[in-house]
This record gives sequence, structure tokens and C-alpha cells, in this order.
Amino acid sequence: MTNVAARFLSIRSAIGALCILLLCAGCSVRRATLNEIVTPEQVNFIRIGQTTIFELAAKIGAPDEIAESDFGSLALYYWSDTKSAGLDFGAIGRLFLPYSPSMRLNKTGITPEQLQVMFDPQWTVRAYGFSRKSSDEPVIWFWPF
Amino acid sequence: MLLNRPLIGMILVLILVILEGCVVTRGTIGEPFKEEAISAIKKGKTTMAEVVSSIGAPDRIVRGNDREIFHYYYYDGKSPALLLLVLNFARMDIKSDNLYVFFNRDGIAEEVIYGNRTDRTRFRLWPFGD
Repeated sequence: MTNVAARFLSIRSAIGALCILLLCAGCSVRRATLNEIVTPEQVNFIRIGQTTIFELAAKIGAPDEIAESDFGSLALYYWSDTKSAGLDFGAIGRLFLPYSPSMRLNKTGITPEQLQVMFDPQWTVRAYGFSRKSSDEPVIWFWPF
Repeated sequence: MLLNRPLIGMILVLILVILEGCVVTRGTIGEPFKEEAISAIKKGKTTMAEVVSSIGAPDRIVRGNDREIFHYYYYDGKSPALLLLVLNFARMDIKSDNLYVFFNRDGIAEEVIYGNRTDRTRFRLWPFGD
């Protein structure tokens, strides 16, 4: 009786594992992040005409780029979050067949963001702003249409 | 005892399958900064030539507010991945360190800005969450 129960349990576990395998078959989730997000709360301390680039760097770190524009010098802070997910329907076939062609749906979303700070000739903040950002994309979103 | 044998076998196969798909990648651009070389830069004293001899030639020379600025950078990326037969997870974390040395018109260091982020770069596999 115990043997029958144990066998039934192992068959059930095997079927369960196979179901999970089939559900996940062909899924790929990739993510790449560059630097850390700078939030508006982190730059609340900036006072136009008072805060210098050196005070800014002391609080939120060195910028990724300093550039010269027609309106003055600029400090740029970059960060990005790239999310990519895919579903390959051919992967299920590859579990049982020697060859199964790829039937893949993929979607990748790259969201580069930046904080731009403009300075006057004394390196005091003249203006600052964040790049525009759409809503947060989900990590798994493979439908490309 | 007999029941344990297939269980051990299954666990071994599972471990082998998991380990087989493990990929660990590390990529860097440039050289990490030496803190002592940065702290050796004295504002109002250290010359452009001394900065170049202690840290090296800059990666970029920027002109800002009529001043020469040396920009040095270092990138560090860590990327673990799990590439199984049916399921793939991969995550990459890249961070950068930046060093700026501001010079006056006489080529003397006026200010130093240094930001270190790469010590917070981590091997993170799970692609979900922050």
C-alpha cells in the first residue's frame, strides 16, 4: 500500500514538473541596468543661483559627462533600464524532437534617462531638469505588436 | 533505501542541469582609480603634467566655462545568466566611476570631482524587481 502511494506521489511530481517545464518552455527574460536612478527627491536641495557643481557632486556623485553648450556648461547624469523578454514556441518541440524551428516573439524596451544641470560661468546651477519618461514597462512583455 | 536512489539521482541530474546553464560574465572599461593618486592632487598646486604623470592621460578633455577639464572614467559590468534548455534568465549591472580635474588658465588644478559607483556593482541574476 505504501509502495503504491509513493509511486502515485512520484508520478504526480513528475507530471507537475513537466507542466512547469512546458509553461516556462521558450521563455527568456533579460535585463540590463546602467548606473543608479537619480530621483527628483535627491536633487531637492538644489537652489538656483546658489548650489555649485562641487556641492552637487558631493551629494549625488560625479556627473557622467560635462559638456559645453551655447548657454553655458552642462553636467549630465545618465542611467537606463533595459528590459527584454521573449517566448520561443519552438522550444517545446525541441524537448521531444531532434529539430524544431524557432517561432519567437521578442520585445525589448530601452529607457535611457538623464538629469541635465546647466551652470553659469561660476559653476553655479542656472537650471536643471530630467529627461521625459513614459510609464514603467513590465519586465515580461514579449508581445511585439 | 530503494526509494532514495532515484531521488538522489534526480537531485544530481537537477544540479547538473542547473550548473550547465550558468554563465558569469564580467566586463570593464578602463582602469580602476587609485584613491591615493586622487588625494595627491592638491588644489592650487598640482600641475597638469603632474596629474598626467600620476593618473595618466585623460580619457577626454572637456572645455567648460573657459577652463580645461580632464575627464577620467572607469566602467564595471557584472552579468550572471541562467541559460537552461527551456528557460533563460540574464541580468547585467553596469556602473561607472568618474573623475574630473578642473584646471585654471595656468594649468594648475583648481577643483577635483570624483564619484565612485562601481563598488556597488553586483552579480544579480533575478531580473525582476529594482
